[in-house]
Amino acid sequence: MNDIRKNPTFRTQFHEMCAKVGVDPLASNKGFWAELLGIGDFYYELGVQIVDICLATRSHNGGLIDLQELRTLLSQRRKAARESVSEDDCIRAISKLKVLGSGFEVISVGKKKLVRSVPTELNKDHNEILELAQAQGYVTVEEAQRRLSWSSGRATDALETLLKEGLAMIDDGHRDGKRRYWFPCVASMSVATGAGG
Amino acid sequence: MQTLGNFKLPQFFNYPPYFTLQPVRETREKQVQLWKELILDYCKSQKVFIIGLEEDFPLFINSAIERSLSHEAKEVFLSSLVSEGRAEWMDKGHKKCLILWLRIQDWADCILNFVRENGLENGVMTLEDIRSGIESRGTELEGIDRGVLVRALRHLEQKGKAAIFKGSATDDEGVKFSA
Repeated sequence: MNDIRKNPTFRTQFHEMCAKVGVDPLASNKGFWAELLGIGDFYYELGVQIVDICLATRSHNGGLIDLQELRTLLSQRRKAARESVSEDDCIRAISKLKVLGSGFEVISVGKKKLVRSVPTELNKDHNEILELAQAQGYVTVEEAQRRLSWSSGRATDALETLLKEGLAMIDDGHRDGKRRYWFPCVASMSVATGAGG
Repeated sequence: MQTLGNFKLPQFFNYPPYFTLQPVRETREKQVQLWKELILDYCKSQKVFIIGLEEDFPLFINSAIERSLSHEAKEVFLSSLVSEGRAEWMDKGHKKCLILWLRIQDWADCILNFVRENGLENGVMTLEDIRSGIESRGTELEGIDRGVLVRALRHLEQKGKAAIFKGSATDDEGVKFSA
């Protein structure tokens, strides 16, 4: 039973096995499986920690966080617990949160998976900007025009909307004088070091 | 981790947009909060009492990412500290700012502790002794700004725990404790 808590591979295999026989072990925390294996507790605890981290970082990232960064922050918090948490675990815990109607969701943007904790609807343009931002952590209006073949109005519009939503931060300090829109959700502070552009 | 002397800088210091004032309210609040904490921490650890807005201040420049705070940004962050009683403008033009990582009454408490630890309850010291004497070495009082020290002593004076007196022309001002 300890394997459930300690071994992420085991958990994935366990979920696959359950799916094959048509059982959702997390359907209810009081369910037979959850009680027997303590697996419900594991995801419940993980879910609480995820909510906590998402709220704590919201004013910095606007409620959108890179799943990898979330895992890093989780592992810092769970140091004492010495349990590794896989991407799969996070996604499962978040899908349970979704059931609560909390607006938590995992979305894919380009190569990255992002966890959304605010009910912002991202349209196609916003997604393309976030994808573009993954290269350097920021986007300029000019770059959006050139790379996405947009008009300057369309690029400005999309960037300003993301800014208002709290997902972007402006940077007017570069010597070329061009405003950069940084996206903490795709390039966190910890990895931005040296990527000053 | 980047450092300034022996001071460890927080991660946000390396994130370029934190050097531009943010226009969106919630983002701005977070930005101001982080800078306020950083300014207080830095000044406390480096014993900086006065920040001149027109002089180069190491905390307001990050050459590694080629960013520095604008005059407006410095004024916004410091004004926010002023509004919380953790700093004071020293002139109308807001060119110099006194940083109070300890409030005046906290400095007064700090002096009282110092007095008790050194058995000076009825003793006499010059202001310069308090700032740089053997007793204060390694304590928070070492290198305290003279203006801040005088105000903290006046605070104690009002409570009847100290009396400041003027020395003769060549002497420093002194203080007699009655703690």
